[in-house]
Amino acid sequence: MSVTSVGVGGAGAQRLLRANDFDLKQTAHSHRVVALWRLITGYRLAYGLAILSLGLAALARAASQFLLRDFVDHGLMGNGGWSLPAYAAGFVLLGVATGACSFGAGRLAAQAAEGACFRIRGYLYDHMQALPFLFHDNNATGDLLQRATSDVEAVRKLFANTLLGIGRTSLLIVVFMTGMILLDMRLALWSAVTVPFILAASFRFFPLISSRYDLAQQQEARLSTRLQENLSGIRVVRAFVRQAYEIRMTERDNLGLKDQGLKLTNLHAVFWSGTDLLVAAQMVLSVYLGARAVLAGELTLGSYLAIVALLGQFMWPVRNLGQVITRVSTGWVSYTRIMAVVRQEREAAGEQTSLPPSDMEGEIRFERVGFAYDATAKVDDLGSAAVAQSPAVLEDVSFTARPGQVVALLGPTGSGKSTLVSLIPRFYEFTQGRITIDGHDLKTLPRDWLRRHIGIVQQDPFLFSTTIRRNMLMGVRGEIDDETLYAAARVAHIHDVVQEFPDGYETIVGEKGVTLSGGQKQRVTIARTLLKNPRILILDDALSSVDVSTEGHIRAALKALMKDRTTFIIGHRIQSIMHADQILVLDKGRIVQHGRHHDLKDRDGLYRDVFRIQSDIESELQDELRKATVAAEPLPHAGINGAGMPGPVGINGRTT
Amino acid sequence: MTEQYFEEEEFETAFDGRTLVQLLRLQLRHKRWVAVYLASTLAISVQEAYLTFLTKRIVDEGLVAGDWPHVVGLIVHYGAVFAGFSIPVVGFIVGAGYLGELIRYDLCRDMFARLQQLSLSYFDRTPVGWLMARLTSDAKRIGEMFSWGVMDLFWGLSSIFVSLGFMVAISWKLGLIMAAVIPFLFFVALRFQTRIIRAYRHVRSTNSRLTGEYNEMLTGVRVVKSLAREQLNSDRFNELNLGMFGSSFRAAFLSALFLPSVQLVAALAVGTIIGYGGWQFQLGDITIGGIQAFVAYIAYMLMPIEEMSRVFAEMQQAMACGERVFSLLGAKPEIVDAPDAANATSMRGDIEFSHVDFAYDSDVPVFTDLCLTIGNGETVALVGPTGAGKSTLVNLICRFYEPQRGRISIGGRDVATLSQRSVQSRVGMVLQVPHLFSGTIQENIRYGRLDASDEEVLAASRLAGSHTFISTLPDAYRSVVGEEGVKLSVGQRQLVSIARAILAQPDIFIMDEATSSVDTLTEALIQQGMNEVLRDRTSLVIAHRLSTVRQADRILVVRGGGIKEMGTHSELLAAGGYYHHLYTSQFREEKGRALDPFHNSRSVVASA
Repeated sequence: MSVTSVGVGGAGAQRLLRANDFDLKQTAHSHRVVALWRLITGYRLAYGLAILSLGLAALARAASQFLLRDFVDHGLMGNGGWSLPAYAAGFVLLGVATGACSFGAGRLAAQAAEGACFRIRGYLYDHMQALPFLFHDNNATGDLLQRATSDVEAVRKLFANTLLGIGRTSLLIVVFMTGMILLDMRLALWSAVTVPFILAASFRFFPLISSRYDLAQQQEARLSTRLQENLSGIRVVRAFVRQAYEIRMTERDNLGLKDQGLKLTNLHAVFWSGTDLLVAAQMVLSVYLGARAVLAGELTLGSYLAIVALLGQFMWPVRNLGQVITRVSTGWVSYTRIMAVVRQEREAAGEQTSLPPSDMEGEIRFERVGFAYDATAKVDDLGSAAVAQSPAVLEDVSFTARPGQVVALLGPTGSGKSTLVSLIPRFYEFTQGRITIDGHDLKTLPRDWLRRHIGIVQQDPFLFSTTIRRNMLMGVRGEIDDETLYAAARVAHIHDVVQEFPDGYETIVGEKGVTLSGGQKQRVTIARTLLKNPRILILDDALSSVDVSTEGHIRAALKALMKDRTTFIIGHRIQSIMHADQILVLDKGRIVQHGRHHDLKDRDGLYRDVFRIQSDIESELQDELRKATVAAEPLPHAGINGAGMPGPVGINGRTT
Repeated sequence: MTEQYFEEEEFETAFDGRTLVQLLRLQLRHKRWVAVYLASTLAISVQEAYLTFLTKRIVDEGLVAGDWPHVVGLIVHYGAVFAGFSIPVVGFIVGAGYLGELIRYDLCRDMFARLQQLSLSYFDRTPVGWLMARLTSDAKRIGEMFSWGVMDLFWGLSSIFVSLGFMVAISWKLGLIMAAVIPFLFFVALRFQTRIIRAYRHVRSTNSRLTGEYNEMLTGVRVVKSLAREQLNSDRFNELNLGMFGSSFRAAFLSALFLPSVQLVAALAVGTIIGYGGWQFQLGDITIGGIQAFVAYIAYMLMPIEEMSRVFAEMQQAMACGERVFSLLGAKPEIVDAPDAANATSMRGDIEFSHVDFAYDSDVPVFTDLCLTIGNGETVALVGPTGAGKSTLVNLICRFYEPQRGRISIGGRDVATLSQRSVQSRVGMVLQVPHLFSGTIQENIRYGRLDASDEEVLAASRLAGSHTFISTLPDAYRSVVGEEGVKLSVGQRQLVSIARAILAQPDIFIMDEATSSVDTLTEALIQQGMNEVLRDRTSLVIAHRLSTVRQADRILVVRGGGIKEMGTHSELLAAGGYYHHLYTSQFREEKGRALDPFHNSRSVVASA
């Protein structure tokens, strides 16, 4: 993605960046000012210079008033002044200086703010990828996304606008006040009489506005909800002919929002016109005192003009200061939300691992493994001491899978099947016992290496919104030629489907491209796993969301995939697991049965129950079909007919 | 993600005069506030310029002339004008603020009312997200354009012209020089404006790509980890992030450059005043106060010009919003009642389709020459693949859509001659995905018949089988269901929606069965509620569940442009067609799940 067309060129952008390896974690526990100071590590000089430039700009503006004074007192009224062109040139030069300084401030602050945010974005991306599964299980995507985007934007504004604005106003007040004092101490002090009042009003008023604004936003959210509910339920509205009622109800919320908006406007009107009166009083006072001093000969005409002009220029920023300061808290809230994520421990934090001496064979051994996790690992409540420990998800699990063996797991929902296989790629850290691969303790093996050798096909396949080719090559390191790619796609029974798309393998999938059916997606992930060529394979309920017509294809594809790999299958149907080398039956986190199909099918226990029920269904169906063809009237209702309804996909998939 | 795309399209619209006129006409409903605003703005411009003029007079007539009583008089004058200033300031803020808010309110209300009239086909074509963006953010943005765009433009222009007027009055020569500078300032400002807008547009599109990248990483984080893609992902993201830095730095750079450039032009103008004015002063053509006033006027004219780029960007955005808002407001309902449409009082009787053709899209016919009679009181199940037209069939009965050819009659009356309102109010619907509104359970049930008494609500709830679970809730019928009913389970929502339909006492019942997983107990309750509803009413059931299908008086297989099989359960099974095929696979599936001890818990096994 080249930026050279519009942005600063890649190399140019690089040149502006500083300290990209800065670890944000260092700022995570600092307090306010210190934290903000640390956040701009590498850009402190730039940011300092930016604020300095603002001071210089204020100085240049004040200087032009001094020049005006000299021009009036000496150039026009008296003698000893410069020539007219010199004064003119002086004004232009001071104008240029003001412009140059305010540009410099803007540019330097932008570099610091954008640079710091560049670093935050990159860090958050890496960090979120590296956070453990448990973290992602407990935190909603939308919330994390917001922290990574709009909160980062709020922090950018804090540096680029808010803090800079506070600096600008404060420096302006200091420089202009000093200027006035230099011109005439007494008049300067009289000219600042109303400033405390205006500041007080501003500090009181803007927090009020901001809380009122929150109210308006809540009302807006209510209106949105109302609209959303109506539109997504438009069929219900029509079915009950409730259009008039809906219009009435919406009107209420819409009116509420209007009222809030008008009230906000009223508040603004009161503040600005009220402070206008204060400013008017101040100006009248200063003009009166100044004019009297001029006539008494205590003040030159030039000084009078300069004071009046300086005063006129700093009144507005003073009135607005409250608003700028109110914004600091918005930026600060966003900063703390970002830091709550940064504070989380990464998966591999502080671990000592080493690569095993040889390639993976695929022998896996569980020795009395147990697992329990933190039940409450939410971003914001970490840091509080009490972290509840869940009841054990797995307990005392022991078995050995030799290289190339197929191990099937069977058990009720929540019995720990998925958790058990998730321990192998170290998605979760087991809390008791020991797991070894080829004799090496799992905890000494690098996650990256492990995961590269483990392939997973999940129940709901996930594809990235890029081309089919890229999706298939996701797990591959290095180059792969088209023939290998096509071969894998053929084995996965997806090649012919892809060939039919106008763009073939370059077809983009997902929101912006073609929507693949569940079965097609599943086969793409199978091809992806084939190309990854793992030693260990995990099939997590890979068939359950697939429609009936493609099931055969997928079954065949999976069979090819399992060849010569240590495989774990999680399944519900006996048919898909009966040929496994070992079957583990799990219940409540423990292995309750262990053996092969022919051992288990006749032994008392869960396995036999399932086996019997499933083989009974077939005969029952045949029975009913036979009866139906004979009988002319419908069969009596058979009672409970299934807790889960078959989806429309099942119907859709069938064609005669 | 989708939101971001909306954001992006907003900048792609060019200046369009017609939309602008349409937008400006929105103000006509609020002439009063427009008048308040315009009058206040003019007053402010004149007052501000006049204050500067008074300061000039204080200097020239009072201080230079040494006339203290005159100075005092002028200061009193000055103070009075300045204090009076706060009145038009109120008018200015209130006028602009009210106008914007009122226009937002109008647009939201009008669009919503329009949407309530539009036919369902409009909603099939238009995603809810798109509509929401029109009703909320577009309406808001257009309102803001009036408050802070159009109004500021007017304020800026009036300030510039009033100042120029005063300058010409003070010294026409210098005034004319300034008048010549203004177009130049505008030119600089506009040049910058287009470039800055373009730069920010680029930032936005980069930002939406960046957000997309984050989103994908987060939703797919488990896959990312299992494929050990972290490093590759980071490299890719880094490139994008670098692009984001580059383009936002450039945008900030341009913005930082804009103000100084305008200030530079202004500094040249001040230089000219000092040089030329000083010379004129020596000739006696201008006074000291006059020169000072000129310097003040220049500063004063700068502000609107600085604002110009923001105002134009806002107007451009609002214009894009306006285009879409007006397209919504201008949409016409596709189904209109005949002028002499009758109100149906009862919808009992046979439903008859004769030679009906229907297509959503003229290329893809859904029904061709459909003929069908459904007897009064009959329960008909519709089965068939998704998209074959099961829902279309029931929608045609309700007159949500109209056939291109043929006639649908109920009890011998052509539906097309009846008002949509009266037809739809006699047909009850339970949808596949139960939709509730935020509010209490009671309010939701009462949605079926607004004037129903509490007792009637309770009775309907008992019939539907929802009473049992409702009475276990702490607040019973006053329990709040949350947005779209999220606080209830899908099964509970379905029960409430059945109660709602029962309360409406319809003549014809249409049911699009729930397919979502509900627990066994709830499912039995739903079944019971539905049986109650179906009793002695003509009902059409789009069925997924075998039990419902089997119980129907008649089963219709809707496939490939018409009804392909029709008969009772046994007849169709014996026929060995699509239904046979569907039934057998469904049977394995349903039984398999129901009997699977692993589906819910061990207790299911025991009961099986």
